[in-house]
Amino acid sequence: MHHPIPSISATAQAIACGERRAADVLEICIARIAATDARVNAFTSTCFEAAREQAQQIDAKRARNEPLGPLAGVPFAVKNLFDVAGEPTLAGSKVNQSHAPAVADAVLVQRLKAAGAVLVGSLNMDEYAYGFTTENTHYGPTRNPHRLDCVAGGSSGGSGAAVAAGQVPLTLGSDTNGSIRVPSSLCGVWGLKPTFGRLTRRGSFPFVHSIDHLGPFGSDLPGLALAYDVLQGPDPLDPGCHATRVEPTTPVLDLGVQGLRIGVLGGYFVDHATPAARQAVTMAADALRAHVPVQTDVAWPDPAQARAAAFIVTASEGGSLHLPALRSQAADYEPLSVDRLISGALQPATWYTRAQRFRRVYRDKVNALFRDWDVLIAPATPVPATAIGTEWIDINGTRFPCRPSMGLLTQPISFAGCPVVAAPLWPTGTDGLPVGVQLIAAPWREDLALRAGQALALSGVAHLKETTL
Amino acid sequence: MNEAQTLDYVKAAAAAVNLRLDEARAARVAVHLHRTAAMAALLDDFPLAVHDEPAELYRPAPFDTPR
Repeated sequence: MHHPIPSISATAQAIACGERRAADVLEICIARIAATDARVNAFTSTCFEAAREQAQQIDAKRARNEPLGPLAGVPFAVKNLFDVAGEPTLAGSKVNQSHAPAVADAVLVQRLKAAGAVLVGSLNMDEYAYGFTTENTHYGPTRNPHRLDCVAGGSSGGSGAAVAAGQVPLTLGSDTNGSIRVPSSLCGVWGLKPTFGRLTRRGSFPFVHSIDHLGPFGSDLPGLALAYDVLQGPDPLDPGCHATRVEPTTPVLDLGVQGLRIGVLGGYFVDHATPAARQAVTMAADALRAHVPVQTDVAWPDPAQARAAAFIVTASEGGSLHLPALRSQAADYEPLSVDRLISGALQPATWYTRAQRFRRVYRDKVNALFRDWDVLIAPATPVPATAIGTEWIDINGTRFPCRPSMGLLTQPISFAGCPVVAAPLWPTGTDGLPVGVQLIAAPWREDLALRAGQALALSGVAHLKETTL
Repeated sequence: MNEAQTLDYVKAAAAAVNLRLDEARAARVAVHLHRTAAMAALLDDFPLAVHDEPAELYRPAPFDTPR
C-alpha cells in the first residue's frame, strides 16, 4: 500500500491555507502509528486525546480567521527524556518509572506547542542516552522502518524511526556524541544537531552536562529549519544555554551554496568509513559541485584524540550522575550499558581533567579550520544499519565493537560543539538502506549547514524514501 | 596498567565510592576501564601546556549589592 511520508512544511502550509484540517491530519497520523508501531516500536507512550483537543482548537482558530503558529497542526513526538506534563520522564529506563510525573512540559516541547505543533507521544531510546542502537532491554528494540531486522540507530532511535515510518513528520531528540546524527543516518531522515548551547535543555533528563545537545528530526529540510527556528531562544534558567538571540534560518535557506567554501573531510573520516559511507559523501559532494568547487581531503584537527576525550568525559560525567542509583539499583539498569556507566564512575580524575583541558585547545583548532571553510562534509556513520544484536563490525579490514563504533565519526564533531545537519543519502550496495552525511559548519552557523542541506534536497540526492510498512 | 592491575583498581575505586561489585561485574567493568585507559593514553601523549585550562570553568553568579 502507498503511504507517502508527510512533509512538515507542506502539512503546515495546507492547514494554514485551509486546504486540510488539523484534525484530519492528526487522525491519519494516529492511524499510521496504529498500523505500524507494533512492528517498529518507536513509541513508548501516546497522548492522542490531548492531541485531538489541540487539533480541534487549531481548526476552530482557523475557522475564526485567527492567526495560527508556523507549525499549526503538525503532529510531533519526543524522545522520552523530554518532560511531558503528567508523565514520569523515563529516559529509556526502568529506574525512572517510579519518578514523580513531570509538572510541566520541557521548554522545547512548550515552544513547539506554542507554534501550533501537536504532541502525539513519547519515543523509545537507549537507556539514559548511553548507546547508539536503541536496543533497549526494558522496552524492546526500535526497529529500522526500512528493514525491521536492523537497528534504527540511537540513542534517539524512536525519533528517527517515527519520521522514517511516516508516523509523524517531526520529532525531537538529543545528541551527546551522535544520538541525532546516527539514527538520522541509519533511518534515512533529516536531523539537526545545533551548536552546543544553542537550544535550552531545561526540562530534559541529562546525560553529560558538558556535551548534551537537543535538536529536531524532520521529513523535509525546510520543515526542519522551520522547527529549529521555533525552538530557538535564550533561556537564562538553563546554565548550558549560551544563545543570546534568535537567528532565523528559514529566510536564508534559498540563498543556495553559491559563494560557500565547501570541503570533504579526509584522513580519519575516510579511514573509518566503509565503501557505502564513502559513496554517500561522494554523492553529496558531486551534487554540491554543480554549484561550487568542492575540495577533498580536508584535514580535521586531532579527531582520534577528540573522540577519546569525548568518550572519557561522557563516561565520567554519565557515571558520576548515576552513581547514587547504581549503589542500590544496578540490577534495574540496562545490561548493555550498566558496566560502562560503572566504569565511568570509577575513572581517575586526571583522565577527565586532561580531556577537558584538551577540549579548549581543540576548540581553538577547530575554529581556526573554519576560517578557511564554510561547510565540511563527512559520513554520519561508518556503516548502514546493522542487524539487531550485532556485536562486531568490520571497517576496512579492522574489527570494531559495533555499538560504540557507530559514533566514531560523530563524536569528534560534537565535542567541538559545531552545528551539523544530517542529510539522508541512498548509496548502492546497501540492500536499500540509507547512510547519512554530516554537513558541518562553524559554531553558531546553523544557517550555512542548512543552506547546504537545502541544496542537496533541491538536487534530489538527499531525501526520504517510503518504506514497505 | 595491565588487566590484573585494572581489576585491582576497579575493586579499590568501587570501595572508595561505596559501590559494591560482585566478582563477575568487577571483571566486566575492568574490561571497559582497560579500553578507556588506552584512550586516556592517547590524550597523555597530546602536548598540553601548563596554561591550557579546562574547557569548562567555574563562573561566580552575579552578586548585586549596593557599593
